[in-house]
Amino acid sequence: MKQIFQIKNTFSLLYFLMSALLLVGIWKVISILTEGEIPSPAATWLIFQEMLSDPFYDYGPNDKGIGLQLWNSVKRVFIGFSLGSLIAIPLGMLMGSNKLAMRLFNPLVQVFRPVSPLAWFPLGLLAFKNAEGATIFIITITSLWSTLINTAFGVSSIPQEYKNVSTAFGFSKWKYIVKIMIPYALPHIITGLRLSIGVAWMVIVAGEMLSGGIGIGFFVWDSWNALSLEKILIAILIIGIVGLLLDKFFNLIQKLTVYEN
Amino acid sequence: MKTNHLEQSNIATSESILVDSENNYHKINTQGTSIDIQDVSVSFRTSKGISTVIKKINLQIAKGEIVAIIGHSGCGKSTLMNTISGMVTPTQGRVIVNNKIVVGPSPDRGIVFQNYSLLPWLSVYQNIYEAVDAVMKDKRKKEKKAIVEENLEAVGLIPHRSKLPKELSGGMKQRVAIARAFAINPSILLLDEPFGALDALTKSSMHVELLKLWNLDNRNKTIVMVTHDIEEAIFLADRIVVMNDGPSATIKEIVDIPLQRPRNKKDIVHEPLYAEIHDRLLSLLIKKFSIKDME
Ligand SMILES: Nc1ncnc2c1ncn2[C@@H]1O[C@H](COP(=O)(O)OP(=O)(O)OP(=O)(O)O)[C@@H](O)[C@H]1O
Ligand SMILES: [Mg+2]
Repeated sequence: MKQIFQIKNTFSLLYFLMSALLLVGIWKVISILTEGEIPSPAATWLIFQEMLSDPFYDYGPNDKGIGLQLWNSVKRVFIGFSLGSLIAIPLGMLMGSNKLAMRLFNPLVQVFRPVSPLAWFPLGLLAFKNAEGATIFIITITSLWSTLINTAFGVSSIPQEYKNVSTAFGFSKWKYIVKIMIPYALPHIITGLRLSIGVAWMVIVAGEMLSGGIGIGFFVWDSWNALSLEKILIAILIIGIVGLLLDKFFNLIQKLTVYEN
Repeated sequence: MKTNHLEQSNIATSESILVDSENNYHKINTQGTSIDIQDVSVSFRTSKGISTVIKKINLQIAKGEIVAIIGHSGCGKSTLMNTISGMVTPTQGRVIVNNKIVVGPSPDRGIVFQNYSLLPWLSVYQNIYEAVDAVMKDKRKKEKKAIVEENLEAVGLIPHRSKLPKELSGGMKQRVAIARAFAINPSILLLDEPFGALDALTKSSMHVELLKLWNLDNRNKTIVMVTHDIEEAIFLADRIVVMNDGPSATIKEIVDIPLQRPRNKKDIVHEPLYAEIHDRLLSLLIKKFSIKDME
C-alpha cells in the first residue's frame, strides 16, 4: 500500500516537472518568435531572484516588495471574502429553509449575480469614499453568490428523514440548525466557499488595477507602466499559484467535512 | 365464521388482562387506554385526484400492550403508524394518546424509523445524547449522560459508542435507533418494520433485546410495530392487527396472542396455540392472495 502510494507520488511529481518544462518550452519559443519583446524564461528568472532577495522592502507608497504587495492583496481578499461569507451563509440558510425568503430573495440574486464586479466599484467609492473600501466592497459582493446559492441548495435538500428525527425528538430550532442543518449543508457550503474564493481572487487583481495603492493587481499595472514585462510575467505566475493554493486549501477542508451514510 | 372469531378474541383479551399471571402483574395497575384511534381516515391529494388510503379505522391499544400491524405492501400500515406519531394528520377522525388528541409528533411517542434515520455526522453516543438533550431539557448534563450510557449498555453498544453510523452493521444501527427511542423514555414506542432489513439471526437477537428493554421498564411501555413477518408478530405481540388491502383499507381482523410470557422462541413453536394462530394469520393473508389471483 505504502509502496503504491510512493510510486503514485513519484509519477505525479514527474508529470508536474514535465508540465513545467512544457511551459518553459512554449514560453521560450514565443520569446524567440517575438524577438525578445516577451522576455525569455532565463531573463525573467534573473528578475525573479532579485525580487525574492528582498520581498518585503518598502521604499515609499509606489515602491514596495512583491511580498508586501501580495500580502496586502491576500488580506483584502480575506476581509472581503469573510464579510461576503458572513452575509451569504446565514442568508442562504434562510432561503433554503423558508419558501417565502426564497421567493423574495431569489429574483434579486438572479438579477445581481451576473453583474460584473467592476460595475459595483463606483458604488463602493460613493459609499466608502475611498478606494480601499471600494475594493473590499466588490470582493464582498463577488464572494456572495456562489456561497449563497450553494448554501441555499444544501439546506433546501435536507432529506425529510432528518427533519423527521428533529420533530420526533422535539429538537429546538437552535439544535436543528446546529445538529442537522449545518452538518448536512456543510459540504455544499464549502463548495460554495471554494468557488467564491476563486472568483474573489480573480476580481482582486482587476479591482486593484482600478483602485491603485498597494497590491498584486496594482503591481501588475505599475510594472506595465514601467514596461517591465518580466515583472508582469512573474506576477501572473504568482497570482496563479496563490489561486491554486487557495483552491487546494478549500479542497482539503472539503475532504475533511465529507461524511457518508 | 368471522363474528365467531371476533367473539373469541374479545374473551381472550379480557382474560389476558384479568388473569394475573406472573408475567402480567404490571397490567393490573397500568390498565387504561394508551392509544385510541377513533374513526380515522387518511386521504392524500395525488395527481389523479384524492385517494383514501385508510378508512374509518378504530383501534384501542392498552397501556403496556404490544401490538403488531400486518398487511400487504402499500395498504397503509405506515400511514396508520404516522397518524399515531403525529406526522400525518387524519383527514377524518382523531387519535388520542394518553388522553390527549394528537396534533403533531411529540417525544412521548418514541419512533424507530423504518430506515433507522441516524444522523450520519454524529457518533452513536451523540445520536442518542442529542435526542435525550432535546427531550430532557431540565435535567443536568451529568444525568443526561448517565441516561445515554444506561441505554447504550442495554443494547450492548458501549464498545461502539464513538463510531459513526456508517461504521456500523445494520443490526447495530437498529440497536442505536432503539436505544435512542428508549432513552427519551416515551410511554409509547412506534416501530415501523424495525427488523425488516436484518438477517434471521440478528433479527432473533433483536427480538430478545426489545423484550429485554420492555421488561426492564416493567412492561409499562406500549409498543406498536409494523411487520411483514408472521413469526415475529406472534413472538412479540399481544395482539396482531391484520389490515385489508387498500385503497380505503380497513382492519380485517384483530388476532389475539394469548401465549404465556416470557416466551421462548424455540419452545413456543411447539405449542398447539402457536400453530393455531399461525394458521389463522396465514389463511387471513393468503385468502387475500387468492382473491387477488382470481381478479
Ligand atoms: N404523502 C403521501 N402522498 C400521497 N400518497 C401517499 C403518501 N403516503 C403514502 N401514500 C400512499 O398511501 C398508500 C399506503 O402507503 P403506506 O406507506 O402507508 O403503505 P405501507 O402499508 O406502509 O406499505 P409498505 O408495507 O410497503 O411499507 C400507498 O399507496 C402510498 O402510495
Ligand atoms: Mg411502510
